[in-house]
Amino acid sequence: MTPTVRRNRLTIASMAGLLGILVVGQLRGQAGVPGLSNLTVIELTQLVANLTTSNDQLRNEVAALGRQEAHLIESRDRGDTTVGELTADLARIRAWAGLTAVSGQGIAITVSGPIGGDGVEELLNELRNAGAEAIAVDGIRVVAGAVVAGSPGALSIANSALGDSFEIRAIGSPQILTGTLTRTGGVIAQVGATYPNARLTVTPVESMTLAATDLKIGPTDASPRL
Amino acid sequence: MTTILGRLRGLPSVQVTLAIALLVLGFLIAAQISAEGPRNRYSSEERSPLIETALRLQSQQEALKADIVSLRTRIGGLEAQDPGAAESLRRLYKELEDARLAAGLIAVTGRGLAFRLEDGTQGGGVDALVTARDVRTLIEDLWLAGAEGIAVNGERIVGSSAVLDIGGSILANSAYLSPPYTLTAIGPSDLYDRLRASVAFVAFIRGRVEPSGLRLSVAELDKVDLPAFAGTVRLRYATPVESGAP
Repeated sequence: MTPTVRRNRLTIASMAGLLGILVVGQLRGQAGVPGLSNLTVIELTQLVANLTTSNDQLRNEVAALGRQEAHLIESRDRGDTTVGELTADLARIRAWAGLTAVSGQGIAITVSGPIGGDGVEELLNELRNAGAEAIAVDGIRVVAGAVVAGSPGALSIANSALGDSFEIRAIGSPQILTGTLTRTGGVIAQVGATYPNARLTVTPVESMTLAATDLKIGPTDASPRL
Repeated sequence: MTTILGRLRGLPSVQVTLAIALLVLGFLIAAQISAEGPRNRYSSEERSPLIETALRLQSQQEALKADIVSLRTRIGGLEAQDPGAAESLRRLYKELEDARLAAGLIAVTGRGLAFRLEDGTQGGGVDALVTARDVRTLIEDLWLAGAEGIAVNGERIVGSSAVLDIGGSILANSAYLSPPYTLTAIGPSDLYDRLRASVAFVAFIRGRVEPSGLRLSVAELDKVDLPAFAGTVRLRYATPVESGAP
């Protein structure tokens, strides 16, 4: 092999090697942010806002749980009973899960006209996203497993039929709930586009009480994982 | 000139082909960079810090959720160790554990199903992307078929869970989840039979999955593990009513 041929081969090999490094670098760079690389600037901004709010709530939960743990340790060290803590914890968790009735301010959405179960579920999903702490459809508490289903005119929730007109009530900040639902291009507008003959009216409510669920939501087939 | 042509003629054809291919590749890369340069520079300048912030926040979220699960486990342990464990107190503790289990605050295991929902490949259109609505439909169908607990990509679905679109991905319990989506559910032994018999599920398959080319696969499993819900359960606006009646 002449020196020239050797040099040429060396040049081509170097170029191929360089290209390979660049390709691997690019692939690694993309793998580092799975999914995020597909989001637009606006979507990334929404994600950052959502994560920031969620993390604030989680920090508050961690702080509250930390205080609860410290109080329990103090009580144990003093030899005191923890009946008070257990009772308060039980009341809070049962209320959150829909096992007891709750009261508070919020909004009422009157729904009339033909609408499918998917349209109502869209509304419920947006209410949850807006921070609703308790929701009821026609007086029936919405909990895990309670789904509004059926075609327009044949809706039901938890084995109870819904009439042509019914009310969704949600406890939470009336301003936030109303603002989220009724914003331009929001869920009310979207559901209205899918079901143009349905009428949805949102009204703030100063005080309401939502009943506990009748559904048995405790597991029978699942068992706690140790 | 004659020397150069002579040298070229002397090169093996493989080297010439490779050199031309690399030249074309280089030209194409240069053309692409030149055409998209300004837009790329603009978007990457804005995107990079946002992606970094989102990744940092996601990492913080995971750590906070782990802290919550750990604290709840420790609190449960402390409550169970009460020195004055009278019968009434033990009953109260049992009620509390039952409430936590019902609320999804305890990790559970049992027989169930695992679904994998993936974007379609046919055509590559917008309809071939899995949306939050698809995930919600499957969750709703599973609840209606009798599922006792559901998780999506490791996020436990509870009464307060919202599932939202964000770009081509979803947010569930404010956690950013990318496709493919794995939905795991615990339920009765005939959960899948009930699901297949459901009008809503059949309509979802025929009206959405099949026409759009979405890929949905399912496995019946003897053991499915669902994590505990690791979000907040504090009530700010709602107050428990003692009587339990409205």
